[in-house]
Amino acid sequence: MAQEQNATLKIYNWVAYINQAVVNHFAKRYNCKVEVSTFNTMDEALAKIHSGQVQFDVFMGVTIDVLGPLIAQKFIQPINHSYIPNINQAWPDFQNPFYDGKWQYTTPYTIYTTGMAWRKDKVPENPYQMSNAWAMPWQAKYKGKVAILDDYREGISLGLMKNGVFDLNTTNASQIAAAGQSLQNLAQLTNVQINNNDYTQIPTGQVWIHHAWSGDMAAAESYMPKGVPVDVVGYWFPTDGRGPVGNDLITIPRNATNPVLAHMFMNYMLDLPNVMTNISWNGYMQPLNEVTPQQLVKEQILPPSLMSTVVLPSYFRRGVMELQIPVSANLLWEQTWQAASKGV
Amino acid sequence: MTQATVTAPPAETGYQRKTSRWRRRNQWRNPWFLEGFTWLYLIWSIVPIALAVLFSFNNGKSQAVWQGFSWRWYFTDQVNSVLHDPALHASVVQTLRLSVYTTLIAVPLGVAFALGINRWRGITSASFNFVMILSFVIPELIFGVAMFFMFTALFSFVHLGTLAETLGLVTWNVSWPAIIVQARLVTLGRQYEEAAADLGANQWQTMRRVMVPLLTPAIFASAVLVFSSVIDDFVIVDLLNSNASNTPMSVLIYSTQRGGNGGPALNALGTIMLVISFIVAIAGYIGYRWLTRGERASGRKALSAITGGD
Amino acid sequence: MAIRGFAGRAPNRDKHRLFWACLAAPGILWLALLFIVPFYVVLAIAAGRLNQLFGTPIAEYNPLNWSTTNLATAWRDIAGPTAFVGPILLRTVIYTFAASALCLLIGYPVAYFVARFAGRRKVIILVLLIAPFWISYMMRMLAWVDLLQTNGYVNSVLNFLHLTSHPINWLSGQPVTVVLGLVYGYIPYLILVLYAGLDRIDPALIEAGRDLGLSKARTFLRVTLPLSKQPILTAMLITVLPMLGDYYTNQLLSGATNTTMIGNVIDQKLSTPLFQGEGAVFSIFMLLVLAVPMIYYVVATNRTSREAV
Repeated sequence: MAQEQNATLKIYNWVAYINQAVVNHFAKRYNCKVEVSTFNTMDEALAKIHSGQVQFDVFMGVTIDVLGPLIAQKFIQPINHSYIPNINQAWPDFQNPFYDGKWQYTTPYTIYTTGMAWRKDKVPENPYQMSNAWAMPWQAKYKGKVAILDDYREGISLGLMKNGVFDLNTTNASQIAAAGQSLQNLAQLTNVQINNNDYTQIPTGQVWIHHAWSGDMAAAESYMPKGVPVDVVGYWFPTDGRGPVGNDLITIPRNATNPVLAHMFMNYMLDLPNVMTNISWNGYMQPLNEVTPQQLVKEQILPPSLMSTVVLPSYFRRGVMELQIPVSANLLWEQTWQAASKGV
Repeated sequence: MTQATVTAPPAETGYQRKTSRWRRRNQWRNPWFLEGFTWLYLIWSIVPIALAVLFSFNNGKSQAVWQGFSWRWYFTDQVNSVLHDPALHASVVQTLRLSVYTTLIAVPLGVAFALGINRWRGITSASFNFVMILSFVIPELIFGVAMFFMFTALFSFVHLGTLAETLGLVTWNVSWPAIIVQARLVTLGRQYEEAAADLGANQWQTMRRVMVPLLTPAIFASAVLVFSSVIDDFVIVDLLNSNASNTPMSVLIYSTQRGGNGGPALNALGTIMLVISFIVAIAGYIGYRWLTRGERASGRKALSAITGGD
Repeated sequence: MAIRGFAGRAPNRDKHRLFWACLAAPGILWLALLFIVPFYVVLAIAAGRLNQLFGTPIAEYNPLNWSTTNLATAWRDIAGPTAFVGPILLRTVIYTFAASALCLLIGYPVAYFVARFAGRRKVIILVLLIAPFWISYMMRMLAWVDLLQTNGYVNSVLNFLHLTSHPINWLSGQPVTVVLGLVYGYIPYLILVLYAGLDRIDPALIEAGRDLGLSKARTFLRVTLPLSKQPILTAMLITVLPMLGDYYTNQLLSGATNTTMIGNVIDQKLSTPLFQGEGAVFSIFMLLVLAVPMIYYVVATNRTSREAV
């Protein structure tokens, strides 16, 4: 099928999660306009998508825990593999991932871990030497300088891991409640901020300890103020691998008006040159075979001090992942998060 | 100021107080304290904005540290400037679009409503006047929530987007022309209508050739007000937007800044909003003065008219 | 024919009424459809059910089928074992009260000065006072976000004046920042309304007070202040009511959990699948609580606007 003419490709993505230059290049190459709409949290995106009120051609940045419901409720459509030959550039795992058998609905976008970012020059403790580094934010002396991610899965998971629970898909009410309680304690101790702005707040020093995503910290260099070297930014992920590993996906909503262009976009985002340009701005690793830590350091996209943000295929296979949870438990997670994120 | 009371004899001897030489200073002199306070307030009010406008011309990416002058965030930066970034560009267009649509609908609606309600006595008219004033004073969040559910549950054929935003904005702003025109009607009184009726004009002619021309300044002022109000609006459009093509500037600034991706481009957006508003205000002021050129109007009255005060 | 006054137009009166009614009709229909009905929809959603699969709310328009699930959920959040809304409500009231009081304390002298003493400079000062009215709220908040950053000008100035030894984190969960931000945001409206009201006070009354021997302070207390009561009340109402629904100021200026207001709770519920019904309930709560001041404002305005006719 031929691509749509005079089309505007409508993309729905996280705020600041794709390099505008990459988008512009796509528009030029495929002779179309591209309009990127953004959301701040996955909840917000889902509320809009579920309402049936919005219409996009590409829904990207989708996490695997929300994929199941999207497929079941027929909000996204199966994709046509013949338009996406570049899948061969990606890790072979993605041609039959466990969350989407035979990659019927998704192509991979980014792969990342969730860990702890800190300012080495302001915080003397080294999480690599702590027995429970997940508890690093819980220190009253850093009042006003601590932040956690604005995501209900990540937030409650942080509470769980701090309490020694590593089943991030638990339905156990008391574990969830304890996690919520820990988060409320955190708020009382430190006036914790809740946002997804780790990528600017740690470099500028506004926050000294931020529960963070690896990709955000990898991009730190471009956000450092003048005269401050990027080495002061540290990112910790547990050496035993017991921390959240995630990968975000690109999907095509069922009500897309430009499905062919959307497929071409998926294909485009699996091509090495575009991926490297994207990573250089975005920071997040993308699971292509040629994207190796050595390559990233060589092209000066990744500073050596932030090698810990790299995600290897082995992490993907053995990491702890946030998966879909049953509806009633999901409700509990949401409720606990709301109480923890708004109340003190 | 307190010196005046230090040596003051008791209040009853006001006469004595007045004639004492100490008291012969001008009682109505300008109170320097109040004036100083007012200027301090004005500085506190205006200077941050001036600095924000300044930072929109910042050469670097910082919103806090000056790094040199540049137009990059307006049009020279090929990727991230307001001219070249599709999302920023679309937001400017959307704000203007919403302002125009809303003004074109809300003003005639409000004026007709004011005329009708003012002359038509009865329980219906009184209660709807009540409703209209209620729409003026209700917190925007509550109204926005009502609009959100309205367009997603009941009237879901009107999807979230420009139509929903316009409908919500018109409802929110119809009280401006309605209240301003009613106030003007009250000041005018019935004399002109009665005179016209005595001269044989029917309702329609009276309306068209007497009332509307008399009300033109008020109508014009309320149009200016509605236009400015829509440029500034946030809550309603935040709840009713669905994608980047119907996100106006205020919402884009909020969600981008909150998402951590703030930068001088947002300042540039804000400055553009500011310039548009000022142009509208100046046009409004000049237009109002021109429309009231026959009357004993003054600059001050024009100012208060286009800001809804009276 | 009997002598006719205006009332003698009896045969044409119905036609007149019809004419005016037709003029008012579009506005009435619009308000009915797009102002009154939406609140019933909110009620229907608050008393409705949730689509468990999609997470979207289902409105229930028939009062006989109303359910109390959403109400129970909301109540649990306010008063149940895991309640968290109570402190937020209290905080909202405190912030609003503090910010409004500050607005009045700062705004009254300014408005008073401009109304009574400005003289030749009145127009220029008025223009400067009105200017924020046309500067978008977001731009004004953005201005402070820029200034209050750790390396921003406020910290630079404080450092230069040796008032602080290290940069203060103004934008990290400081209630002071949020309250001052609210003051900055809403004070222009208050000043304008106060100014309009104070401008109307007949200066002769104040002069009379002085002539009768009252000191400046006494004149103010016994003459000016009572006359300003109505403008102050109106100004406070149009400041307090919007401020209670504010959710964006603290998000831009703080982003921390200890400065959230009730508006944030409603906004979050509306943006989360399965919680929109509860959001509707909170919205109705807010409407009910604020009904009295709102109705008071409407009645007061109505009375003054219809007086002369």
